[in-house]
Amino acid sequence: MPTKPTAPQTEDAALFREFEHTGDLGIELDAPTRGELFRRAAIAIASLLVEMAGVAEIEQREIVVEAEADLDLMHDLLTELLALFTVEGFIWRDASVKEAGRSLRVTLRGEPFDPARHTFRGEIKAVTYHQLMVENSPGGWRSRVIFDV
Amino acid sequence: MDLIKLRDYLWEIPKTGAMRVPGRVYASAKMIAGMREDPCLTQVANVACLPGIVGYSLAMPDIHWGYGFPIGGVAAVDAREGVISPGGVGYDINCGVRLARTNLHFNFVEPRIDQLADALFAKIPAGVGSWGAIPGLSIEQLKQVAGEGAKWALRNGYATERDLEHTEEGGMLAGADPDRISERAYQRGAKQLGTLGSGNHFLEVSRIDEIYDSKLADALGLELGQVTVLIHSGSRGLGHQTCDDYLKLIGGAMARYGINLPDRQLAAVPISSPEGQAYLGAMAAAANFAWCNRQVMMHLAEQAFLEALSIAPRELGFELVYDVCHNIAKFEEHSVNGRMRLVCVHRKGATRAFGPGHPALPEALRPLGQPVLVPGDMGRYSFVLVGLETAMRETFGSSCHGAGRLMSRMKAKREADGRDLQAELKALGVTVRAHSRAGIAEEMPHAYKDVAEVVEVMEAARITRRVARLKPFAVIKG
Repeated sequence: MPTKPTAPQTEDAALFREFEHTGDLGIELDAPTRGELFRRAAIAIASLLVEMAGVAEIEQREIVVEAEADLDLMHDLLTELLALFTVEGFIWRDASVKEAGRSLRVTLRGEPFDPARHTFRGEIKAVTYHQLMVENSPGGWRSRVIFDV
Repeated sequence: MDLIKLRDYLWEIPKTGAMRVPGRVYASAKMIAGMREDPCLTQVANVACLPGIVGYSLAMPDIHWGYGFPIGGVAAVDAREGVISPGGVGYDINCGVRLARTNLHFNFVEPRIDQLADALFAKIPAGVGSWGAIPGLSIEQLKQVAGEGAKWALRNGYATERDLEHTEEGGMLAGADPDRISERAYQRGAKQLGTLGSGNHFLEVSRIDEIYDSKLADALGLELGQVTVLIHSGSRGLGHQTCDDYLKLIGGAMARYGINLPDRQLAAVPISSPEGQAYLGAMAAAANFAWCNRQVMMHLAEQAFLEALSIAPRELGFELVYDVCHNIAKFEEHSVNGRMRLVCVHRKGATRAFGPGHPALPEALRPLGQPVLVPGDMGRYSFVLVGLETAMRETFGSSCHGAGRLMSRMKAKREADGRDLQAELKALGVTVRAHSRAGIAEEMPHAYKDVAEVVEVMEAARITRRVARLKPFAVIKG
């Protein structure tokens, strides 16, 4: 599948790549460590929802997710973050991740979403399990996620 | 993938491996060539592995790559021995389409298209970062919506009795259990009753530019030049979260029932299991939220017309033609191998298309067959069809639901790069108001197949008949 790096919207260059999926939206992520993979995923979903350029790091939110498998951890983390945006109206520009066994403590830095100042890019309905992948290879950590949009 | 041509427009995927029934695909030879490049045919074969599936794993001509189920797939499972699969319904439970007619001719509206588009854009929230049309709904009120569907809209002044009669299932699916919806799902839906959403959802004001069957058109109150409104939306965050909640629950329970499927997104449990029953109760409740959502938006659209055009309700004559859902699982009686059986029909991106005389149709529509509403893309046209008797014999009373995507969203954005799509559409006679530029790019007309080819296949296969074509001139996108 052809892929292209998404234009960097934060200080980090090319945090994720979008890939072709007929109806929906797919992303691929690479990272040197497991924690960094989840951090990049957290920033990726924010930048798919809202143009990052207008988002300031004013407030913090923290979420904790726990799951047996990394695959479920990725799904659950992104689903929690989707709810953070849709229910609480919080959008973030950066994140940090603390790993503790099977759980992740993720701190998000951003601000309340304001339609007058922020550019909404499009709704994400859900994080699917379809072709969901998280793997650790000699080259580092990789993940693929397809969102229903 | 092996494909056997059975006759013009009908192909079979032979039963192999874990498939319990063959697959059947309605398509032209040209469409089949395109499908071979997409994983959707493998998904038709995967669906054929569901325990209890009867007849065939079916694919409509607008089929494309989904997650688990293909979009455009139909699967009927035995109601007693079969399984229920949330992936066979989709995240947007009861995503659907409704068509309203007016007494207005295009010539009357044409000089005021901009005012009308502005009024509709202002009245109908997209549902992001703002309250929906009905602010401040408590969880208790949302539970009432989930229990009653469009009836809640009727009780609260957003609907008429006639609207409910012209909605599939009367706008309220039996068996809804609002207590099976999670608090998180209610939270996600709390601000979204009466909101459009983004992606491929839209409100489209059209004129009828082609009548294919004047008798049927007359009976549905449709005529050339008439202004109509088509609304495409679903159950919003409440439905999306409900699907997600139950995919997880059912995915974890599958092993207990000895079910092993080729794709996690196909997760399924026996209909009779506690998990299956809980999902069915939640799905029906989310479906009811969707019907109420589309009903409230129709009410808002009527208000926008009245205000923008400064006319009285009687002059406007805003009336629901029909409302269909195209992401749902329903218990219906169908003939399987010559015997009537109660089955649960999963329609994932497919529309119910009952033929004439079916008792589920309201009296006024029963002699005609069920109206089937098939949106195209915003630059070309959409269609009104009716179900035919053959649909009852071959497709569990189902037909297509849309054009089907040709390009990925990413490719569409690339193609749109540097172009002013809003101006291009304006030149084609389509005024677009959208909350997101990327949204217009992803939904550009050429990102979709030509819906005319899709409905022609369904007509050639005698599943549905064309009644009228709708040409959009004002489109509201989330």
